[in-house]
Amino acid sequence: MENFMIGLNTLLSFESIIAIIVGVIWGTVGGIIPGINATIAMALLLPFTWGMKPAVAIMMLAGVYCGGEYGGSVPAVLIGTPGTNAAAATVFDGFELHKKGKTGLALYLSLYSSVFGGLFGAICLILLSIPLASIALAFGPAEYFLLALTGLTLICSLGEDNILKGIWAGLFGMLLSFIGLDPFAGAPRLTFGLLDLSDGLEMIPLMMGLFAISEVLRQARTFNISDSYAFSERSDTRMPPLRELASYYKTHIIGSIIGVIVGVMPGAGATVAAFLSYSWFKKTSRDPDSFGKGNPIGVAAPESANNAVTGGAMVPLLALGIPGSNSTAIMLGALMIHNVVPGPMLFINNPEIPYGIFSSLFVANIVLFFVGIVCIKAAIKITSISKPALFAVIITLVFTGSYAYNGEMFDVLVAFICGLIGLGMRRIKLPHAATVLGFVLGFIMEANLRRALIISTGSYVGVFTNSKITIILTIIVVVSLLLPFLGPIKRKFTVSKAY
Amino acid sequence: MRNVKKITMLFLAVSILIAVLASIAFAADAVWPKGRLTLVWHSAAGSGGDLMMRTLAKYIETKTGATAIVENRTGASGANAWSSVAREKPDGGVLLGVSSTFIASPLQNNFPYNYTTLDPIARLFVDTICIFTSAEAPYETFADFVADAKKRPGELKMTGGTAGNVEFVAARELMKEAGVDVPIVPFEGGSEGVVAVIGGHVTIGVGEYAEIASAVQGGRLKALILFNDLPGLDVPTVADLGYKTTVEKFRGIVVTKGTPQEIKDAIFNTLKEAMEDPDFKTYYTNNYLVPAFLDADDFYKLMETQTEEVKVSLKGLE
Repeated sequence: MENFMIGLNTLLSFESIIAIIVGVIWGTVGGIIPGINATIAMALLLPFTWGMKPAVAIMMLAGVYCGGEYGGSVPAVLIGTPGTNAAAATVFDGFELHKKGKTGLALYLSLYSSVFGGLFGAICLILLSIPLASIALAFGPAEYFLLALTGLTLICSLGEDNILKGIWAGLFGMLLSFIGLDPFAGAPRLTFGLLDLSDGLEMIPLMMGLFAISEVLRQARTFNISDSYAFSERSDTRMPPLRELASYYKTHIIGSIIGVIVGVMPGAGATVAAFLSYSWFKKTSRDPDSFGKGNPIGVAAPESANNAVTGGAMVPLLALGIPGSNSTAIMLGALMIHNVVPGPMLFINNPEIPYGIFSSLFVANIVLFFVGIVCIKAAIKITSISKPALFAVIITLVFTGSYAYNGEMFDVLVAFICGLIGLGMRRIKLPHAATVLGFVLGFIMEANLRRALIISTGSYVGVFTNSKITIILTIIVVVSLLLPFLGPIKRKFTVSKAY
Repeated sequence: MRNVKKITMLFLAVSILIAVLASIAFAADAVWPKGRLTLVWHSAAGSGGDLMMRTLAKYIETKTGATAIVENRTGASGANAWSSVAREKPDGGVLLGVSSTFIASPLQNNFPYNYTTLDPIARLFVDTICIFTSAEAPYETFADFVADAKKRPGELKMTGGTAGNVEFVAARELMKEAGVDVPIVPFEGGSEGVVAVIGGHVTIGVGEYAEIASAVQGGRLKALILFNDLPGLDVPTVADLGYKTTVEKFRGIVVTKGTPQEIKDAIFNTLKEAMEDPDFKTYYTNNYLVPAFLDADDFYKLMETQTEEVKVSLKGLE
């Protein structure tokens, strides 16, 4: 309690509050710009924090982190391009809601979900950081493999008319994730001798190509000069009443729990959390077919999860002294430059830092709500731009975003080629969302399966029965694979009953 | 009239000649650094090496008055950073920081850029490499672990980088020397592997002491053996225990090939002075870096040796 007061004291200083506000604004704007995610936004700001007190610097970065994880959803809804990887799952239903004219609902629900997830994550961090740390420790290679496999079962349900199409598209994504250096043999794979491929494909250009460029190309192909110039008609951009936003509390709570747990694990991250949360709600929904067609739960689920990750990700840093994600690694860097050693000793040596992180996560999420409203009000103007102008804006954003990530023209080429592939996939109705999912989870799955096999000395059975967690996850996988087949049987059953 | 023209031409020619000669003469005793200086590192801001470059940049700025900027040219397993510096003008305007990745990555990927296509200036540090285990593991010393591993060949596992990492190579050599069979579970990057050791999924791990220091202080991990002596740390080194395996995971500075010797000397001297600077000293002691200054020739030889060692390690996996 006394230590909390120290944190609060640090927090209540003028410079800390300003630092958090600046951090949240910077993070949100960065998140909105495609190609800049929370980690990059933090890295860009890092050099400016070196003149500050370590506690203030870390508060500012915490603000950027929260803002960045939220910002990505704004372009996901408005132009169908996730601003950050973690917002990819938000596109499925967010963009559909926007096309249906429910723009305001999608944008404000995503903001509300993010703030809810962020606050939930902060509370978990404060109250449960020790038990949460044990979750991180319970997950070894076998557990990660099965977690990734659980997430991958979603691809079966992403191919709307055909399960096989989802699987094909997912396998293609996994194939793309194998490009680059083989993590075990240390030899290049599928790089065709290209130096630029030696690190594998970057997620950002790949995703922006598949989502944004292909969508622009598709719309441009069917665009008629006599058509309406507005991107979507009659879009309602007003903020829905808070009561409506709060009515998704069940989704928010479960989504946040998924986010916190996945956030704690060093091998996963916000993107995995968002996909797992989306997949959970689609699977357990009474009406799974409504997902991907503009179901608000499809926005609330990933957005609450990817912001709850912020709290979870701090757990390994504070409880174990090991940064679990790229974003927390940057926070570690910010502390190291001030010669502050992170880890459990922080609570004794520099209590103002961990308690500063705790309290700043709270303040940052509250600030985020207001910053988010301002950003939405500004970004929503994009809906009044004429279609051709908007296409040009999107292409410009996507190409600069791809380039900015590494400063390589190669990534622009990747985005363009992925755009053409995405267009082809749309034509034959292969779900490109499944490709992205395969890409995100493919590498986690492969590396951890191979690690688990070394540990189990080559026994596949040993991988699946490694622990209670693996057995539970195996059961979940089997049930999710059988569900699409059980569904029609059950429906037949109920139909015949009705007769 | 014609003469006047001729004289003018001659005058012009002579003055051009003088200007050219003067600029060459000035270039010869060029002062380093000239204007803006760029320090390049191959991984993201906030990473261990990036912090080193930034602290160094701060020192160079206060020392010389020049503006020193750190650029993180990430991607393509380091090739983006190395190839861009290799193509720079050789005037000492760009300093490239390199670590042992600079040995492994070009070999694994068959990059046309490696230690031979850049000019070494000096090695600054060695990262302390150690073998660690969970605090709850039943081993007090490295000998305890070896005894257990001998009883159960192939059953205990070790994490540590990937096949090309120098610590991976060293750990495998040490296990061979100790006469035990401990399969390696490769993990990319530090944190995931360390958490797997704390969680007991893997028995021991090999890595930089800096990465596990706070977990050791927090009572989660214990270091069993060090590859490099770190003053003030009560853990035996490989030499103490009579093993011959050594590894020096280096951090150093290289520049574009063909940089004039005078400029290289100026950079060398600045780096050497930096090692004595109190601020820089605080930085490297706090980050568990062992100061290990080596001049260009010895640094080059070290990179040559490590290249051969990693080559053998990569072949061994095929």
